[in-house]
Amino acid sequence: METRDKIIQVTDLEKHYNFGAIKALDGVTAEIDKGDVVVIIGPSGSGKSTFLRSLNLLEEPTGGAIIFNDIDITKKKYKDENGKWVKVNIDLHRQKMGMVFQHFNLFPHKTIMENMIIAPVKVKKVPVEDAKKKALELLKRVGLEDRADAYPIQLSGGQKQRIAIVRALMMEPEVMLFDEPTSALDPEMVGEVLDVMKQLASEGMTMVVVTHEMGFAREVGNKILFMADGKLLEQGTPEDIFEKPQHPRLQEFLSKVL
Amino acid sequence: MLLMSFDFVGDILMDNFVQIENFGRIAPYGELFVQGIVVTVMLSICTVAIGFILAIILSAMRMSNFYPLAFLGLDKDGHQREKGVGVTIGKFNPLAFLATAYVEILRSTPVIVQVAIIYYGVFGALFKLPSFTFFGFIKFERFFPGVVALGMNSGAYLCEIMRSGIQSIDGGQTEAARSLGMSWFQNMRYIILPQAIKNILPAIANEFVVIIKESAITYTIGVQDIMSAVNAVRGATFIIIEPLLVATAIYFCLCFPTSKLIAHFERRMSRGDKR
Repeated sequence: METRDKIIQVTDLEKHYNFGAIKALDGVTAEIDKGDVVVIIGPSGSGKSTFLRSLNLLEEPTGGAIIFNDIDITKKKYKDENGKWVKVNIDLHRQKMGMVFQHFNLFPHKTIMENMIIAPVKVKKVPVEDAKKKALELLKRVGLEDRADAYPIQLSGGQKQRIAIVRALMMEPEVMLFDEPTSALDPEMVGEVLDVMKQLASEGMTMVVVTHEMGFAREVGNKILFMADGKLLEQGTPEDIFEKPQHPRLQEFLSKVL
Repeated sequence: MLLMSFDFVGDILMDNFVQIENFGRIAPYGELFVQGIVVTVMLSICTVAIGFILAIILSAMRMSNFYPLAFLGLDKDGHQREKGVGVTIGKFNPLAFLATAYVEILRSTPVIVQVAIIYYGVFGALFKLPSFTFFGFIKFERFFPGVVALGMNSGAYLCEIMRSGIQSIDGGQTEAARSLGMSWFQNMRYIILPQAIKNILPAIANEFVVIIKESAITYTIGVQDIMSAVNAVRGATFIIIEPLLVATAIYFCLCFPTSKLIAHFERRMSRGDKR
């Protein structure tokens, strides 16, 4: 078995609203290794998206820890090796975590090319020409190189989501987070987006995916997390989860969706 | 009795409402109206400039994430605590509080009162302004307080326009930008503002036209704008309706082209959308 290289360690993550009256996340502990394709499944309102969004602090957790590359990013500052307090620069960590949203969130006032190069050029100070070259390569990979000068409004949902994925890849992230990437798509467009994601997984990208596509979870995922009511109720390989579900909530959930 | 009063109103309408020859009688005072136009235009431009800068500062303050006491809401690990007085105090943003208080006070009091307070109070008692005229007829010590008062007032309104425009942009845009590693400022500069400005342009244009009209109120502190010309003519000739009609025509000729001009720019900007 290959050596496990932990990239994200989540410990007792909590997200409470209204002083603990609502517990969106209630003590979730999980780890994500390099090259993992972690798929999070569960009924709606179970905290899947909150968990995913917490990973790059779009939601600020109210308790617990997220250790990303040896730094607890949930804290405002940490002690470095010299014992000095250093502020946690969340922008820096977010550059290493690409995120794909349910509603694509492309920038409507920019062309596809501008959408893709803006972050590398402005944040990483990559020269425009280099960024454009890279963008064209990525666009070619998803078969959209001829739409570089189009505006997002001119694209179909599936095309938009493929652009959103490669836009995130432009920052060369270590982890890709997918927040229900196919939920807002017409059924015939789901396949093209899943294909891109499968390709990405086969190249060894570390991915965390929240999805309702059980076929994708079983085929591509190597670790499935089942969440309900803000708790991580069961986790395991696709075989464990889909063939031998233990928890009654999971059995009930699978009987409904499969 | 009733009939008589109808007759009376009729007489006024017939004999006194508009008399063409009165326009001839006020013609010698045309110079006053020309000066009034210059003053009104200058007043509006300066007001817009001050109001715009003020609005940018105010809306930035209202939307800032400045929580100097936030540490009171953290536990010793540096996590956000859930409850307690510290959390409440930690959520206090003094910049946003000041800006909100400013906006609400300025929007909830009449402009005429604000102009009077600035002129008689601030620049009458607190500061002494140098007394000189520029352009030959604009009195600085009256013009300047007028500009300050109107600028402060329109700053409050423009602030709300800008804030609502920025907050009308879908939160997903900010999430996408931030998840790509952009800072708060980069997100504003490259993603939010370009979209927000396009949305708020009609409202800002409307505010510019309002400023031109509202500047008439400064005649109460002796700024010699168009309205003041009307009063001067009335004082000299006892003619009131005709100069008022002249003033109406002038204000219309200032405001209508302004709104048309901005509508033209709006169309040009939306042409870039390639929808």
